[in-house]
Amino acid sequence: MAQQRALPQSKETLLQSYNKRLKDDIKSIMDNFTEIIKTAKIEDETQVSRATQGEQDNYEMHVRAANIVRAGESLMKLVSDLKQFLILNDFPSVNEAIDQRNQQLRALQEECDRKLITLRDEVSIDLYELEEEYYSSSSSLCEANDLPLCEAYWRLDLDADSADGLSAPLLASPETGAGPLQSAAPVHSHGGGPGPTEHT
Amino acid sequence: MATYSLANERLRALEDIEREIGAILQNAGTAILELSKEKTNERLLDRQAAAFTTSVQHVEAELSAQIRYLTQVATGQPHEGSSYSSRKDCQMALKRVDYARLKISDVARTCEQMLEN
Repeated sequence: MAQQRALPQSKETLLQSYNKRLKDDIKSIMDNFTEIIKTAKIEDETQVSRATQGEQDNYEMHVRAANIVRAGESLMKLVSDLKQFLILNDFPSVNEAIDQRNQQLRALQEECDRKLITLRDEVSIDLYELEEEYYSSSSSLCEANDLPLCEAYWRLDLDADSADGLSAPLLASPETGAGPLQSAAPVHSHGGGPGPTEHT
Repeated sequence: MATYSLANERLRALEDIEREIGAILQNAGTAILELSKEKTNERLLDRQAAAFTTSVQHVEAELSAQIRYLTQVATGQPHEGSSYSSRKDCQMALKRVDYARLKISDVARTCEQMLEN
């Protein structure tokens, strides 16, 4: 059996109050029910006439029934308070819930990154073919200020984004996932010949 | 008693206790209604009263056990753990995926335009 820890006064008082409320409510339910059953017993007429006694018993039963209902509602409130206390203070289960959530999120993140890496490898192959096609076609102009395809594309991107005032920092500081995609293209343009094997 | 059970199990147990409290009042009402009849069915009355008593004792035992567990487990300190860091990392991974999707759609659009021209 775990030893009693030194709880702060407020928490200990709170838990003691929960115990007291539980005992009081259960006692109230049992006592009132027992008294109703006792009152239902038909007795001989005493000083009070039967009609008056009947009225009195009727009123008493109403009051006791109301007490039982009140005690039941008080128990429901106690259960609600216990639920709240449990959610806030049951550290083992809170720790477990946090660990589970962390695991789920980490698994999702790894899945995303794995798929991005696969995508990078596939897109780098396609980009190589696209560049080959572009440079060997008549649409590429042979001039001194001719930019590689990727740089022309980025220049276009920068012009569009600087008009909106967005995403230039994104291009300046490449992210880990998008980084390989961006780093793959310059290798293609500067190397010219070697293709995807450079990345392996 | 499993000290490290999931919060869901304990919360589910408390919800069962709530339902049982409703059953207690139901049994009490049925027993008194049976008593009010001219011709009382004694067996039914005994059964209802026994069910009422059993439910009350069961609810008291369960709630006492829950309070005892909380007395052992509560420290009085606020819990400062969070899943914020892994949530942020996951958010950034999803943003990376979105960004990659955006750029690839741009490339696809550019290729289509070039093919049309």
